[in-house]
Amino acid sequence: MKLIKEIGAELVAMFVGDGRLAVCVLALIAGVAVLNDIARVGPLAAGAVLVLGCLAILLESVRRGAAMYDR
Amino acid sequence: MLIWSTAAPAIGAAFAASLVEAVEAFTIVLAAATLRGWRPAALGTSAGIGALTASLVIFGPLLDTVPIQILQLTIGVLLLLFGLGWLRKASLRAAGIIPLHDEEAIFAAYSADACEAMSAHRASGDWLAATMAFKAVVLEGLEVIFIVIAVGAGKGLMLPASLGALAACTLVLVVGALVHRPLSRVPENTLKFGVGVMLSAFGVYWSGEGLGIDWPGQDAALLIFVVLFLGAGLAGAAMVRRPIPEVAT
Repeated sequence: MKLIKEIGAELVAMFVGDGRLAVCVLALIAGVAVLNDIARVGPLAAGAVLVLGCLAILLESVRRGAAMYDR
Repeated sequence: MLIWSTAAPAIGAAFAASLVEAVEAFTIVLAAATLRGWRPAALGTSAGIGALTASLVIFGPLLDTVPIQILQLTIGVLLLLFGLGWLRKASLRAAGIIPLHDEEAIFAAYSADACEAMSAHRASGDWLAATMAFKAVVLEGLEVIFIVIAVGAGKGLMLPASLGALAACTLVLVVGALVHRPLSRVPENTLKFGVGVMLSAFGVYWSGEGLGIDWPGQDAALLIFVVLFLGAGLAGAAMVRRPIPEVAT
């Protein structure tokens, strides 16, 4: 049972190593879905928001990670 | 017919990611074998491969029942979570913020932990070694399976991606059997950076497709995403760069 729990915990950590990064990605996906399906901004604009959002999330996460290790 | 411009990124990503995972699993199995001999390590490894095969047989056919758009979105989001996480860590490693991944050091740490655990439970040393090997094979194997499904399922490239992963695992097994020591010369940190870039690019691509976005240029958009994530990863590392610290686990 302990082994299964350990494997389960590591599987969760595989996708949610950094909680804030995970929340930001999910929020971005939800935002892009709203832009595309409800606001109807057009697929190209929605796609650009998705790509640029992911790049911004990555850079912010790296910056935050570095600041955390500096403390 | 296999279109190489589409298949090559999937095969390359599956091969590189599987190489990293197989090297990590091999290090732990080798630590188990060094402590208690090859029998418990081989038993744990076989049980791990058996568990992975069973999960594939049971859950694999379910993939065909999921509507394609939901499958693309789910895989895309999981790939983004997984890929951006790898790329974040790789950027921090490249910047010298966190220590580089070192298989020799990991091997020593696992051996020390196992020694400690075995001295506390002397009678169950074989069991501990087998469990250690089992856990390593299952965890790293699940990551390989996820990556193969993630890069292969959306475009009918499961077979080429599986072959890429199988080639990587076979390569590690053969080289590992020949050298009998941790494969520390595999450029894992560089590979992880590259895999993080590829998985993030696939993640954006599939998430977009799942959300109903038709990418301009279709599959060629993947190459643009690769360039963008590579640039962002390198820029992130440059933004926070420090002198490279001593190697640790």
